[in-house]
Parts: sequence; structure tokens; C-alpha cells
Amino acid sequence: MIKRLVSFSISLALLSNTALAATEITWWHGMGGKLGDVVNEIANRYNASQADCHLTPAFKGTYEETLTAGIAAFRAGEQPNILQVFDAGSATIINAKGAVIPAQDLLEQEGVKLNPDDYIDGVRNFYADASGKFIGMPFNSSSPIMYFNKEALAKAGVEPPKTWEEFEAIAPKLKDAGYVPLVQSHMPWIFVENFFSRNNVQFASNDNGYKGAEGTKILINTPEIKMHWTHVKDWKDKGWFGFYGVPGPDNQKPFEEGKVALFLASSGAFGGLAKTASMPFGSTFLPYWGSIKGAGVHSFIGGAALFAMSGKAAAENACTAKFFSFLTSPEIQYYWHKETGYVPVTKAAYELAKADGYYAKTPDAETGIKQLSLPGAEWDKGYRMGFYVQIRDVMNREFVKLLNGDESVDAAFATIETDSNALLEKFAKTTAASN
Amino acid sequence: MRKVTIWDHLILILGAVIMMGPLVVAFLTSTHDSVDIYMSGLQFTFGDRFVPTYDKVLAHSGGFTKEVTGLTMLWNSLILGLGFAIGKIVISMMAAYAIVYFRFRFATAVFWLIFSTLLLPLEVRIIPSYEVVQKFGLLNSYAGMIVPLIASATGTFFFRQFYKSVPDELLEAARIDGAGPFKFFIDILVPLSTTMMSALFIIMFVYGWNQYLWPTLMTTDEHYFTIVRGIKQILQVWVGGNQIPAYNEAMALAILAVVPPVLVVILFQRWFIKGLTESDK
Amino acid sequence: MKRVQFQSRWVPYVLLLPQLTIVCLFFLWPAGEAIRSSFYLEDPFGFGSTFVGLDNFKTILSDPEYFKAAAFTAVFTFLVAFFALSLSLLLAVKADKVVKGATVYKTLIIWVYAVAPPVTGLIGAMLFDVNIGPFTHLAHDFGWDMRVGVNYYDTAFAMVVAAVWNQIPINFIYFLSGLQSIPKAVQEAASIDCRSSFKRFWTVTFPLLAPTGFFMLVINITYAMFDTFGLVDVMTKNEPANNPVTLVYKVYADGFRGNDLGGSSAQSVVLMIVVFALTIVQFRFVERRVHYN
Repeated sequence: MIKRLVSFSISLALLSNTALAATEITWWHGMGGKLGDVVNEIANRYNASQADCHLTPAFKGTYEETLTAGIAAFRAGEQPNILQVFDAGSATIINAKGAVIPAQDLLEQEGVKLNPDDYIDGVRNFYADASGKFIGMPFNSSSPIMYFNKEALAKAGVEPPKTWEEFEAIAPKLKDAGYVPLVQSHMPWIFVENFFSRNNVQFASNDNGYKGAEGTKILINTPEIKMHWTHVKDWKDKGWFGFYGVPGPDNQKPFEEGKVALFLASSGAFGGLAKTASMPFGSTFLPYWGSIKGAGVHSFIGGAALFAMSGKAAAENACTAKFFSFLTSPEIQYYWHKETGYVPVTKAAYELAKADGYYAKTPDAETGIKQLSLPGAEWDKGYRMGFYVQIRDVMNREFVKLLNGDESVDAAFATIETDSNALLEKFAKTTAASN
Repeated sequence: MRKVTIWDHLILILGAVIMMGPLVVAFLTSTHDSVDIYMSGLQFTFGDRFVPTYDKVLAHSGGFTKEVTGLTMLWNSLILGLGFAIGKIVISMMAAYAIVYFRFRFATAVFWLIFSTLLLPLEVRIIPSYEVVQKFGLLNSYAGMIVPLIASATGTFFFRQFYKSVPDELLEAARIDGAGPFKFFIDILVPLSTTMMSALFIIMFVYGWNQYLWPTLMTTDEHYFTIVRGIKQILQVWVGGNQIPAYNEAMALAILAVVPPVLVVILFQRWFIKGLTESDK
Repeated sequence: MKRVQFQSRWVPYVLLLPQLTIVCLFFLWPAGEAIRSSFYLEDPFGFGSTFVGLDNFKTILSDPEYFKAAAFTAVFTFLVAFFALSLSLLLAVKADKVVKGATVYKTLIIWVYAVAPPVTGLIGAMLFDVNIGPFTHLAHDFGWDMRVGVNYYDTAFAMVVAAVWNQIPINFIYFLSGLQSIPKAVQEAASIDCRSSFKRFWTVTFPLLAPTGFFMLVINITYAMFDTFGLVDVMTKNEPANNPVTLVYKVYADGFRGNDLGGSSAQSVVLMIVVFALTIVQFRFVERRVHYN
């Protein structure tokens, strides 16, 4: 008995010794539910793939809570090695120079060459700096696409529109067929940010904000986007556009119930829709305006990226770099893509998915990647604006007023411009001393 | 004497239905499939998923370490609730005793200092609080979760109210018997306060039990995750994420999360209503 | 204050030590930090900061949205405190009166107190769901085109209902215990002198409930102002947009959610000043009318 106990404790000690030998790194994320399970599985696969490093992921609440937890921890010197930061928070962390080690530098220190051209076009620049160097490592990424209700289109005898002009031509038929022609699920992302990319219009001064916070002004009180929203309001009044509130799920429900013909949503939504939609559906690209010269280029991503926090030991940084390489390997990207619906961020992973015949079975999974791989132009790489969470709040506030008929298009966009620029100016002051 | 009418019962029945209704509906909903809940909302019948859902949330080990079950989370919430309630009651009784029963310099200043804590909820002072907790090395610990929550003055205020209503004759009599401040406190005031303590215990236990933001911010070790955090974690599935939240599991956890505080409430309200009636008649 | 008190050089300080330590560490220091940073605009990670004097205050006080939130907070607090107190008092009076089934009623009414705010919010959000909420359907049946999350007032209505629902049970417990502590002899004497039960309640029972009532008033105001931000967050599904929000939610939204430390600190300071004034009013004017002995 005693012998067994002793041998047991010895083996236990050996076990913990090997565990101790591995360098511990941490990853704070905001992925709940099933997504959290997939994150855990990826961490387990990473830990199993090598013996030097041990990664522990931790769920830290919503994106906002995760970022703030990271900030509080950073100030106290307790930051994780890897922090997940969402699209609207990227200016906050990228402009805090010294908070993160650029992903590209981190990898190159480990002798891994990061070639931006390996990444899908609409992914490549979103978390990069003005010169194209990767600051954050793109992680969960998706783009807004258009889902269509096949029954509705068949009943009205129309094809899914490629442009908004085509939409206006078919909307009356869809309405007469008894459907709400169009619904969207995230106004700032789909009808503002990706409006600017898809139609190739400048969104902010200073190269869409990439050249620094100082002097960056939003260019939203401008003819193209106001034209778009004048139409949106007109569609709403004619019964061509349904609006059920700001949150995405409130707008998704009527589509799932089969009441809506065209639904603009994340390219990753197809998996959930497959379970809930009461009718067959398909997907295609987000429409653009034929009247805008040069429109129809690729959109960019939304979602979140992983940032390597500074102030960590070299051995830990090496492990973080290894994890980034592991994460962007085609196999892991394909696994992530299949399990969650988010797009794979590299071209190699996309090729792997194609070769595996994944898209023959689930064509909707490919729509987002195809749209992100469309030809590019000048203004489709992304945007970098500080206090963007509040700017989105301002947009939503004014859009609701506009759609409720409490405010004109001119007034709404004048307010968005004034309030956003006040926020941007304030943000520039927060970073001033650090530059 | 006072006549009880049918209206009295009707009002009470209506009150009970309105208060309980949503909880019953939440329970019924938890026994359905998550896709049904997602599509048609709250359910008003008993579904067929009761056993698997509750078995999963209670016994299934989740998290990265595969060591976290619904029971672990309930246990953590229990420690948080108990630690917070007991700590707060002890500390605020002592402070209120000093304020009401002692004449000392700075008494008014101390009074206002303590009451000023009602001015800023923890959510507003959360980042500096994190730094303090970190400096004491209390991240990822029960003490770190509990202590900053105790700062608010509600308990002290409550006991101050009560001590002021205790007849002065008691202290006079005790002094004639030669009782000092500690003897008076322990032998007379504490027993007299049991009802108040249980009343406050209810509020504080529930408050501690239900904390979300602070424990989420200052713990990263899954073994400290609370039940409320568990609920939020299930519900948090992103729009782009291809999934619909497991509403059934969230509702089931919500129902389970309600049980211990309800037991506390029922247990203590009986004690404290009984105590009050006895002491008075 | 007490007519008789102890005198000691050190005992009161020892008794106060734990509370004061916690207050200093977790309240005074963070509050001081808030006041300091209200004069700065700083990078949340702590790399840069610019002294901006009173700019943050000017920004708030020239923002119509801030005053909109302030007005909503006042109305919301009033409505929640009023309905939560009066409805629970009604229920408590009735529960104190009946004998049959009293325990069952009590138990059923207090259950809800144990529900966590995010859960209240979740149930509330589902009941008021713009597409499939039972309450939304019910309102439509009565010709009310209720759209929570789109229409400002509909959202405000839903928030008040959820907050009152959550707060009734604890008020009920306290009022009931307060009522039961009123000696039966007093009530019987009153019932002989005064035939109208309504008048009897206001002239005899209500004044005797005043100390409990004062405490409950403070607790309910604190709840509505401070502790409902989780509920606001869930009911609006983390999208403030054009929805009604309270001042504390705004501090949370700008500071915690939006990482604007200077702006949110300035809001905290304004909030502290307002609540401080309110506290003085409560203690000076309301408590003076409350009899303890």
C-alpha cells in the first residue's frame, strides 16, 4: 500500500515536473457558448502539438469586457500574453504604442516569415498598419453578405440583385408577392463601414485613419452615403425595407420565419440559419451602387483579432509566436472555418477547404471568402478610428431616429459627423503624449 | 376585528401570479430544445428535454480544464454570497455601533465618509479597484472577489437606523449593572439585532450571489467562475458565429441559480419576521 | 443622537477600523483617481495623457444626450421607487391581514428577489421581444404597436416594469416585517377609534412604518439609480442606440465599454455631486420627519 502510494506520488511529481518545464502562456477571449468550446479545442491541439509551451485560454465576457479586462490587467502588469480585441476596439489598442508587439515582428523574431500576400485580400489590411505590417493576427473574421429566400424569389419571379439599382427594380415584385423585400442586421457594419469599402469611397481623412489619430476626421457627411441612406429611408417608407431594432437577432427572426426576401448578415450566419430557417435559402455578395464610379470592389472583415501583449518574457513571446503560426496553419484555419462559419484568413486554408470538397456540400460557406477576394481598390482595406464603439453608438442612435421619421437625412448625418469628430479629436488627445 | 375580504385574496393572488409567472415560464422554457426557444420564444408547456438539459448543466464538466460543472459554479457563488453577507454584516455592525453609541472626535466626518460610498457604485470605480486588489496579490482569490464589494455603506446605514431606534433605557440599565462597551455590544445589542442581521443577510447574500462584472474582471482561473458568469457565457454567441445560443441551458442554469438564494430568503424571512413579532409583544 | 453614549479614547476607532480601511482602499482611492482623471484625457493602457482642465466637464454639460439621460434617470428612479414601494406596501398590508394561505403568498412573492439581474433582463427581453414576445403580442391585441428597442418610450416602459418586478419582493419582506412589528394592541385600538380602514392605515399604521419606509426609500433610489445598469444593458441588448439609458449606464458605456477614461470620470464626478446633494436632502429633510423612538 505504502509502496503504491510512494510510487504514485513520485509519478505525480514527475508529471508536474514535465508540466512545469513547459512555458505557460495565457489567452483572454470573448468567445462564449459553442465558440468557446472550439477555442478550447484549438488550445488543446496546440498544447498536444508540442511540449515546450502550454496555452491556457480564459473567457473574459463580451468583447468590451475582454478589452477592458486586458487594459486593467496591463496597467497592473498582469496582462495575458494574447488578448482578443474586436474590430471597433482595434484603434484603441493599435494607437497605444507599446501595449502590443506587432504580430509580424513577433513572428519574424522567431524566424517565421509572414507574407501578407498569403492572406485573403479583405483580411490582409484590417489589423495592419499604414505600411501593411500586421499588428494584430486576424482571428474570427466574417464579412456582410446577402442571404436570399429562394421561395420568395421564385414566387416573385426574380433573381437576387447585384446592385442596389437592381434591388429597386425587383422590390415592388417582392412586396407584391407578400414579402418584406429587404432587412439588414448591423447598420454601422453593413450600411456604413462596408458601404465605404464595397463602393470604394473614402471613409476618413488620414488614409481612413491609418496614418495616425492626430487630425483624423470622419468623412460621413458626404454625398454617396447620404444618397444611400436617402434611399434606405425611402425603401422603409415604401415598405421595401423592414427595421426591427438595432440588435442583429431581432432582424434575423423575420427572415428565419420566411417573411423576408433578402437579408444582409454576416457570412458566418449560414450555419445558424440552416438550423432555424423555415425555407430554403442561398447567398450572394453584398449589393453595391452601379451609379458610384468604381464600386463593386471587395468588402473587409469584421470580428476580432489576437494581439500579443508587450512586457512578457522572451520565452513566452516565442510561445505566442509559435501559437500564431499554429493558428494560421491551413489545417487549424480549416477546422475553425468548418466549426464556426468564420472565414479562413489565409489563401492556403481556403484552397484546402476547396480541395476537401467542403463548398460542394455547403456553398454558402464560400460566399464570404469570394466576396473578400474580389478585386481591390483604394478604400477597401479598413478604417482606424478611435472611440469607435461610441461612434457606432452615435450612428445607431441617429439611424433609429432617421428610420422612425424623427429626423431628416441631412440632420442625422450632420449630427453623426459632429459627434464623431468630437470623439476623434478627444481620442487624439489621449494618445498625444505617447507619440 | 379586521375583516378579510375576497379582494384581499384576489390582490395577493394577482401579486403572486405576476411575481412568479415569469419564473414558471422560464422553468418551462428550460425544458425545451434551444432551436424551438430561439424560434418561438418563451414556452408555456413542459417540454421533453428536462432530464438531459439539467443533467448537462449540473454534471457535465466543461471549460478548458474540463473540471468546471454547474455545481462548481454554484459553490463559488455560494462562497461569494456567504462571504460577502457575513463580512459586510460584521463590519457594518461594528462601524454603526461606534457611530451611534460613542462620543468621539471626527464622528460626523466618519459618518459622512462612510456614507459617501453610496455615491459611486463599484462598476464606476472598477479599474482602480482592480489595481488595489492586484497590489495585494488577491487576483483569482475569493478574498479579492469579496472585499471590494463590502465598501458600500448600506449595511452601516441599516444598523445605524436600527440602533437609533433601540431605547436609551437599555444602555442606562446596562451601565448601572456595570457593563462596558464590549459587554453591552455582545450581550445586549447583538442578540437584539438578530432579526436585523437576518434581514440584511437576505439582501447581501443575494447581492453577492448575483455579482457579475467584478468577478469576471478579476478572475481568470475557471475554478473561480460563478453561476451568473456561466449563464452569460452560454448566451454569448456572436452574430458571425454560426450558432444559436443554448437558451435551454441558460434558462436551466438561471433556475438553478435562483434556488439557493430562495432558500436563504425563505429561511431567513421566517426567522426574522418571527423574531420581530416576538420581541415586540 | 443618543442621549447616553460611551466615551472611550480608542474603542470607537478600533470598531471603525475595518470599515474605514475598506472605504479608503476601495472607495476613496478609486474616487480620488476618478477626480484626477476627470481633468485628463488619457490612453487607457497608460501610455499617454493630456491635461485638459475642465474640457471633459464642458463636453458633458454641452451634450444634449447627457441631459436626456439625466432626465430619464430622474423619471426612471421616481417611477421605479414609487411603484416598487407602493405595490409592495399594498401586498404587504394584504398579506399582514390574511391568515389563511399567508405563508404561501409570502413565499411566492419573495421568490423573484433571488433572480440575478442578467436573468431578469433575459426574461424581460424575451417577454418584450420585438418579434415573438408575449407582451408585445398582448400589446398589439390592444392596438398598441409596441416595439421595444425601436421606440424610446416602449423601451422605457419595459425597463420600468422589469425593475419594479425585481424590486417588489425585498420591499415586501421589509414592509411585512415592519407591519408585523406594530403591536396588535395598537391596531385593535385604532380599529375601534377609526372605522375607515383606509384612514386608519394613513393615520396609525403609516407613521409607525416610517423608519422602515425611509430606509426602503433610500435603498430603492439607490437600486434604481445604480443597480439597474445590468438590466439596462440586457434589455437594450448591449446597444444603447436611441434607447433610454441611465446616468450610471452612460458612465459604464463610455468608460468600461468605450474606454474613454477622462470623459467617464468626469461623468462620475458629476454623478457624485448630484448624489451627494440628494443624500443630504434625504438625511436633512426626510429623516427629520421620521421618529425612531
